[in-house]
Amino acid sequence: MQGIAFRLATLTLLFSSLIFAGIVGYNYMVSRDIIVELAEERGMLLAESTAERISSSLNSVQKVVESISFSLEDSSITRDLLGRLGRRVLSGNSEIFGTAIAFEPFGFSSDREYYTSYTYRSQNRLTHTILGGADYQYFYMDWYQLPKEFEQPIWTEPYYDEGGGNQLMATFSVPFYRKQAGHQVLRGVVTADISIARIQKLISEINANESGYVFMLSRYGTFIAHPDSELVMNETIFTSAESLEHPLLTSVGRRMIGGEIGVEEVSDLPVIGDSFIYFSPLPDQQWSIGVVFPKKEMLADVAGLNKEVAAMGGFGFFALALLITYITTKTTHPLRNLTASANHMASGDLDAQLPEVTSCDEVGELTAAFRTMQDSLKQHIADLTQTTAAKERIESELRIAHEIQMSILPKLFPAFPERSEFDVYAFIESAREVGGDLYDFFFVDDDRFYFLVGDVSGKGVPAAFFMAMTKTLLKVVAEPGLDPGDVLSKVNEDLAEDNDSCMFVTLFLAVIDVNTGEVRYANAGHNPPLILPKGEPAQWVPPENELMAGVMEGMQYTTRSMTMRPGDTIFIYTDGVTEAMNDKNELYSEDRLIEIMNDCGGLSAQEIVDTVERSLKGFTGGAEQSDDITILTLQYLGK
Amino acid sequence: MEITYDKREGGMRIEVNGRMDAITASTFEDACGKVIDEGEKMLVVDCTLLEYISSAGLRSILIAAKKLKAAGGTMCFCGLSGMVEEVFQVSGMGSMFSVTTTADEAFHS
Repeated sequence: MQGIAFRLATLTLLFSSLIFAGIVGYNYMVSRDIIVELAEERGMLLAESTAERISSSLNSVQKVVESISFSLEDSSITRDLLGRLGRRVLSGNSEIFGTAIAFEPFGFSSDREYYTSYTYRSQNRLTHTILGGADYQYFYMDWYQLPKEFEQPIWTEPYYDEGGGNQLMATFSVPFYRKQAGHQVLRGVVTADISIARIQKLISEINANESGYVFMLSRYGTFIAHPDSELVMNETIFTSAESLEHPLLTSVGRRMIGGEIGVEEVSDLPVIGDSFIYFSPLPDQQWSIGVVFPKKEMLADVAGLNKEVAAMGGFGFFALALLITYITTKTTHPLRNLTASANHMASGDLDAQLPEVTSCDEVGELTAAFRTMQDSLKQHIADLTQTTAAKERIESELRIAHEIQMSILPKLFPAFPERSEFDVYAFIESAREVGGDLYDFFFVDDDRFYFLVGDVSGKGVPAAFFMAMTKTLLKVVAEPGLDPGDVLSKVNEDLAEDNDSCMFVTLFLAVIDVNTGEVRYANAGHNPPLILPKGEPAQWVPPENELMAGVMEGMQYTTRSMTMRPGDTIFIYTDGVTEAMNDKNELYSEDRLIEIMNDCGGLSAQEIVDTVERSLKGFTGGAEQSDDITILTLQYLGK
Repeated sequence: MEITYDKREGGMRIEVNGRMDAITASTFEDACGKVIDEGEKMLVVDCTLLEYISSAGLRSILIAAKKLKAAGGTMCFCGLSGMVEEVFQVSGMGSMFSVTTTADEAFHS
């Protein structure tokens, strides 16, 4: 089950990990930018400072050579002087490997075509020698030819000095002149050799301290210094770029020999991979220094920092997870207890023990509310049990009252099988409640037969009482000598006396002389009955419009009379018949009644009642009956 | 069922609208009881808008009339028609009370 605790913890942790990932990402970006910027500055600075260091070292060499060239102009030069000069230069300038003073053909003396005084270092000693000859034709060498042709000081490309210094060197050469008939005439060239090995050593010293490396290019792109000694003097940056199939490296080489200062990000260099190359020129020599920094190493710090941040974040995340789990579990614990209790209650155990309220928070309030609900439910169920019991008792009493009420009505048919003069049939159907309809019939003497239908106002027990009282009074009062009107007047007196509740009853009371068929009748506010004469249409018994019984004392009821011929039928009913309703709220109505009655010619008393009952049922279609329905039919058959 | 009061010179017209049956009869009874308690002697019940009256309705009229009579007043009816008029006739209530066509007639008789 995914409880509140689980969801809360999951959501919180998910959200905090998102925030954390954002922070780490941002931190990585920013610190990377800072470190890369710092590394760029450092790389640039290193390139420039290296260039400057080498430059300044070479500049001092240049100055020395230039000052010698001045001193040689117009001075008388001897072999000794040259030797001394060479020794002085070398002993004063440790960076110079060797120095030469070379003369134009026959420039030193008319008998010597070649003359070069060369002083150089050899096994910690200074050695002096005279060079030149068929085996060392220096006039065609770069160090001599270039300054001569360009008439200015010049640095040669590094070269291996076969027969001179016998090692890899670069030479700075300055031409010197003498005045001859007002013209400057070239007399020779002064040079200083610097050992490339020395520069390489200087660079390798820098390399030792750095994670990347420094290299140097000559003016044509030849590697003068590089950690890979295979490349030095054998390859140019262009041939190297070609063998690596690296066009960007070619472009870097072009910019370097073009004397630019700059930086380039270069991918996939041998050994060190993706790198930055910073470069700075040595303008006098037209050489260029390059510093290579592996990207990986530059970003190693960033990665390290990020790892630390991630580790700290991970630890924090773990701590947060523990804390949230602890808090949510502790918070939802009483809720789970309450749920268990509520489930008990739901399964019907209203006495289920609820957890103790220990906190003043929402769970505490909920528990208190549950306790109140539990108490209310218990109370309610107790009340309901009591009410139901009371209701059942009342209903049972009402049912008994109804049974008693029905039992006082004559229900055995045929009621008088021994009498052939007439046929009587009655039908009563109570509504759901106890009602107040009544009918009755009885002989007051051998010939006179009383029959009646009544309807007490209202429903329920009071109506039932009133109905029983009316029926009893009628039976008691009806005597052989009295007309129905007199009977009604007497009964009305008794009913109306002290009738504070204003209950009343409508009554149609009639007596028939079975010998003659003469009917005498009275009507106390009852709806008029129907007469169905044999072979003729039904017709209403004209109403008297006299007041219901029980309303007012002192009423005198009129007795009317009519004569029934054999085969005539009288149909007395209560308004439950004509006011029966269907589900469209339509009344059965007197029109329908008279219509169905006209179809009843020739039927017996019971058949007429059954026909009307069926018609009523068909009309209401089972809609709930709201009033009692009572019908009494008497068919006179004759003596 | 709705009951509207209309105070007139010499009495009170009570207009009854709807059905007066077992459920609503007590409303009419209470309404008349209140008017009688206030001292009205002449009560004209206008039945123009009354659609239906049951025996319980008749009973509530009788109770109110009895109370009014004890207080020395009279109850009249006007605007009877249709089913209500028929019930009044058949039950004999029509002969027990003074019945007029309009309320004005009742007040001026």
